[in-house]
Amino acid sequence: MNPLPVVLNATRRLRRPTLWTLAAVGAMLGFGLAAGEASAQAKTIRIGVPTAMQLQVGRDTQDAMKMAIDEVNAKGGVLGRKLEMVVADETENPETGISAIKKLTADEKVDVLIGGYTSGVTLAQLPHISAAKTIYLNVGSASPSTNAKVKTDYDNYKYIFRVGPINAAHQARQMTGFVSGFVKGELGLSKIAIVGENAKWVQDLVPLLKKGATDAGADVRTTEFFDSQTSDFSPLFSKVKDSGAQYMVVILSHASSDIFAKQWHDAQFPMPYGGIDVKSMDGDFCERIGAKSVGEMAANFAVRAPLTPKTIPFFDEFRKRTNRAPVYTAFGAYDAVHIYAEAVARAGSTDTDAVIKQLEKTSYVGVPGTIEFDDTHDVKPGTATYKGPSFLFAQWRDGCKREVVHPKELRTADFVYPSWIKK
Amino acid sequence: MLEILIVGAVSSAIYAMLAVGFTLIFGVARILNLAHGTFYALGAYGAYFFTSSFKLPLLLAALLAVALVAAFGIAVERVLIRPMRKSQLAMLMITLAVALVVEQALFLTFGSEYRNVPAFVDAKFTIGGVSIGGARLLALGVGVVLIGALWLFIQHTRMGSAILAISQDAEAAQYMGIPSDRIFALVMGISAALAAAAGVLAGPFLTVQPTMWLLPIVKAFAIVVVGGLGSIPGSILAALMLGYAETIVGYLISTSWTEIVSVAATLLMLVVRPAGFFGRRASF
Repeated sequence: MNPLPVVLNATRRLRRPTLWTLAAVGAMLGFGLAAGEASAQAKTIRIGVPTAMQLQVGRDTQDAMKMAIDEVNAKGGVLGRKLEMVVADETENPETGISAIKKLTADEKVDVLIGGYTSGVTLAQLPHISAAKTIYLNVGSASPSTNAKVKTDYDNYKYIFRVGPINAAHQARQMTGFVSGFVKGELGLSKIAIVGENAKWVQDLVPLLKKGATDAGADVRTTEFFDSQTSDFSPLFSKVKDSGAQYMVVILSHASSDIFAKQWHDAQFPMPYGGIDVKSMDGDFCERIGAKSVGEMAANFAVRAPLTPKTIPFFDEFRKRTNRAPVYTAFGAYDAVHIYAEAVARAGSTDTDAVIKQLEKTSYVGVPGTIEFDDTHDVKPGTATYKGPSFLFAQWRDGCKREVVHPKELRTADFVYPSWIKK
Repeated sequence: MLEILIVGAVSSAIYAMLAVGFTLIFGVARILNLAHGTFYALGAYGAYFFTSSFKLPLLLAALLAVALVAAFGIAVERVLIRPMRKSQLAMLMITLAVALVVEQALFLTFGSEYRNVPAFVDAKFTIGGVSIGGARLLALGVGVVLIGALWLFIQHTRMGSAILAISQDAEAAQYMGIPSDRIFALVMGISAALAAAAGVLAGPFLTVQPTMWLLPIVKAFAIVVVGGLGSIPGSILAALMLGYAETIVGYLISTSWTEIVSVAATLLMLVVRPAGFFGRRASF
């Protein structure tokens, strides 16, 4: 037998227990350190952030929250306690979303949760948030169902609030207002085509939109759905063109927006388009597709315009810190931290029930408008007389700048047709 | 009608560029390369990276991207696949792992946002009353030229004969003194370069983001199953069929039904004729 393997085996036998011991000692040391840290942090108010960390919505949630936390802490914190945040990745998968909530509430023992993005994930998380009796300020998902139980089962679901965005039912109403008030009313284009991706919320929204538009006297020439994986819109464009429509209303949220805009521009499609286009809310959407969205109108929850005294300073500070334009979860997260901090200050403690009572009384001037909650703890949308958050229809302009065109009371510039369409 | 003809031809050309490389490396080296879509993604990202970060002219950026992806393909074959070539299962796992690692690397480097690859031509052309973007016509033209060139290379050069010999019987070819390892690396390089070229050409009018490798591999799979795994004429024919079938369904039924075409075609073919149109035998 070759002696070398024997020696090697011997060292291996020796080394293994040593390594284990070392690892165990290390773990104990680490644990001790962590415990020490925890007791030092007992005085801070901990904000748990369940969000989709890899996406821009998630990154912006964290960055905006950091901004708000720094502002509150610079003023000495709340009730003499500093704020700090703990992040957990909820991805776009309900299972992971539930683990994120469990980690934040059971392991990290946070005082409040601020985050959210996908409605499906939020819905799956609700029972776990309720079981953990922790306040949850939703800043990302838009399904009305997330807040329905607040009314029907208040004792168990009173923890759930939505700071933004306005829910999908309100979005549908404001979208209808855009078609009847702007496309039909102002541009005078009555023949429209509705084009949407094949998703549950779009299928829910389209009949409402179609009815609203028809009631307003518009002629809906065609309604087309397409798969969100679609990479070639030529057939779709051809059908819309053949329908005789003059304006294309779109409802897009996932992958397709950038291809859609590129192909619309490259084909010099002979009609303008606009509507809900979630990717087009990104500040850099226009730049990253080579300015091919110039002419498109897209709904936004806020743009850099004097909506409230906080809007422009927020946008500028966010850009200064991150060198990015914020997406909607950023306004929600930023406002949510301040709303929570003020509610705690008014309640005089972080006691959940006391803070909930104060949150219900919120009337806070935030980034997209005044934030108040209705009886399902859902943010109230803006109307002609109430300056709550609204859909702002902004048009991409030359140099990838955005101008608000609708609603009229917030208009920063008039609508301009894409260069290849003669009017 | 003419519109369907032109749009279908563009889709077919891109599908063919993806499928020919995929089927070539299978036919020659028996590598079922799940990282094939990754080469497509890397081609598009390469063109984006060199034009945006180094401000290189597009043509140079595109050539550089294709060359680097070809080198990457060769490296993957040499370092990861070659030691494991005996096991089909191991190769599937390795190539899938490469695809996932690259996807995550792209996420970390470029983020989840969509990126813009500039187009060689931004003009719009009108052919017989049908308007079509210049980038699409270019994709069609270059696709046809590249596949034609590959065909000539395989049919009319010594190296091409070696590739054919190995695809017919690797062991016999080796006994004849053909260096199979070197041929495998070459074929992997060609296959990766073709996919990267498809990425560079389709990037301007399709999407560029980290998960973009997945759809092409699904399409390539469908095409080679229909055409016969390992057969180049089969995959060209199947690419044409799939490209046109999708376009026709899009125009005549609804765009929301196009994605099901490739999957349905795959299933149907597996049931009716598992070897595909031109396959010598069932490959599974």
